Amino acid sequence: MDFYYGMAQLIGVHTLLGLSAYVVLLTGQVSMAQAGFFAIGAYLGGMLTVLAGWHIVPAMLLAAAASAVVATIVGFPALRVKGLMLVVATLAFGEAVRIFWFNFDYQIAKGNIQVGPLGGEGFKQIRYFPENGWSTGEVAIFIWVWVVIVMAAIWWMDRSRVGSVLRAVGEDELAAQSVGINLTAVKVSAMTIGGFIAGLGGGIYAHYTTHIEHLNFGVILATFAIAYPILGGLSSVIGVLIAVIFIQGFLVEVLRFMGDWRNLLFGALIVLAMNVRPDGLFDARATRTIRRLFGRQDA
Amino acid sequence: MSDFWWEVIDPIQSVLDGMMFGSIYALIGIGFTLIFGVMHKINLAYAAASIGGAYASLAAFQVLDAPAIVVFLCAAAASGVIGYLVYICCFRFIPTAMPLATLMSSVGMLILIDEVVVHATAGMPEPYPAMFDDVMIDLEPFWIRGDLLMIFALSVIAMGILLYILYRTRLGIATRAVAQQPSAAQLCGIGQQNTNAVTFIITGALGGLAGAMVGASVGILSPLLALPLTVKGLIVTVIGGLGSIPGAIVAGLLVGGFENVFQYFRGVTERDIYVMLLLFVFLTFRPQGLFGRISSRD
Repeated sequence: MDFYYGMAQLIGVHTLLGLSAYVVLLTGQVSMAQAGFFAIGAYLGGMLTVLAGWHIVPAMLLAAAASAVVATIVGFPALRVKGLMLVVATLAFGEAVRIFWFNFDYQIAKGNIQVGPLGGEGFKQIRYFPENGWSTGEVAIFIWVWVVIVMAAIWWMDRSRVGSVLRAVGEDELAAQSVGINLTAVKVSAMTIGGFIAGLGGGIYAHYTTHIEHLNFGVILATFAIAYPILGGLSSVIGVLIAVIFIQGFLVEVLRFMGDWRNLLFGALIVLAMNVRPDGLFDARATRTIRRLFGRQDA
Repeated sequence: MSDFWWEVIDPIQSVLDGMMFGSIYALIGIGFTLIFGVMHKINLAYAAASIGGAYASLAAFQVLDAPAIVVFLCAAAASGVIGYLVYICCFRFIPTAMPLATLMSSVGMLILIDEVVVHATAGMPEPYPAMFDDVMIDLEPFWIRGDLLMIFALSVIAMGILLYILYRTRLGIATRAVAQQPSAAQLCGIGQQNTNAVTFIITGALGGLAGAMVGASVGILSPLLALPLTVKGLIVTVIGGLGSIPGAIVAGLLVGGFENVFQYFRGVTERDIYVMLLLFVFLTFRPQGLFGRISSRD
């Protein structure tokens, strides 16, 4: 049973990461910085519970808020450029954050051991859950409560005026500008929301793995972050969840019996999926089809 | 000589070494920039394909025991083939209006190429042949490493051949026409798909040479080289200005020298932070890059 709880935790955290990239992608911006925000949330969240002895919820919220502030600061210069330039700028930012933690030491003695982040060796002993006697199942539920809250919030935002504004910028910047939308404000807000969600995910991640190091937050994680919404499709938050389950559940776990060959198939399947469904697995047409199906059942 | 002079010799030496190594970054940057110029797409699998080509050429080294220069040429040829495969798999059949889809498919290809390499070599680094690696040219007070000089010379030759193809042959005219105005080029009877494919093959060959030279200068090949090379190549592309070949060359040398001098002062773990800072300085003060034109196209 623990195995399934572990999977649920992993899928939950990656869903948060994917959702953070989803919000930014709605405005048409490809941000490879999500892994950087995730890392900030993870390290700060871990430091607040381990070094400062905070409760996990305020620690996570503060860490996420810090990520959001960093996202805002990065947003202003980075969003002056678009397309490929933005990809590279955000990629470089994410790498810079990773290297920052790689060189960051801050340890204090706690009992007879040293705790805190220690450069290349990483940040060990983030033992908030075991120390407070949370079982794996409880942790999984805790994570999914957050996932549901965030998903519901984005779902609601998507259907409100805010969502329309974000999508308008993503579809056609010129048209959006001509109806009086402030592009910079919208893009930076999306980046801030994305940074907050990624920080939240990072805070949870640090606590359930109990050991983080800079290598966890590299280019590959950044790629995963944008892969979920692109693979799942930008028409709905459900797409992100489907993509996370497809990648983390199906490709990583179900294909585990294939051993080495799994990794080969992984890249090939992404290439294939994009060729067959360039709009994402769960695109606007799929949404309509499902609506129609449910409509028929109601009638 | 004064004390001050002795203080600056080592930093200058490391800038020189770095600039020679930077010619590899320049080659990778040219590849990204050319593909971007022709297709307005970013091919994230490019550096991985270059390393893949270098790996393929190991066969020539290990089985046939060929001399280093032949191995390098094999790497270029193999990478050209991989470049064509990347084009077919990731760009040919995906609608042009979907930049996200091609971005993602090329990421998938990056992972695939990396994993094929890991699978074929069991993840172990492989030794790679070098040329003139025992030669040291003494230019009082500096030293020039023979293998780095050879890399620099080969890069210059490769760039020269590329510029000749682009500006002196019909193929080059077609490539530049598609880059400037795809539909007008098509109306003149230039096949867009063919031109794109040829661009991928040419840049692939260039990348293969770069991959081989990475192997030659480091002494080993490892699949771990692909991601850092991708990041550096992209940074070079942006600093040089999108679509600008001279920009990529200058930016490659700049990044190479910059990185090496910070490695000298601050150590290998911190040096990349300064490269990123250089990028952010450029993005803030000169977002169009060194030689790029200001345009609204993305």
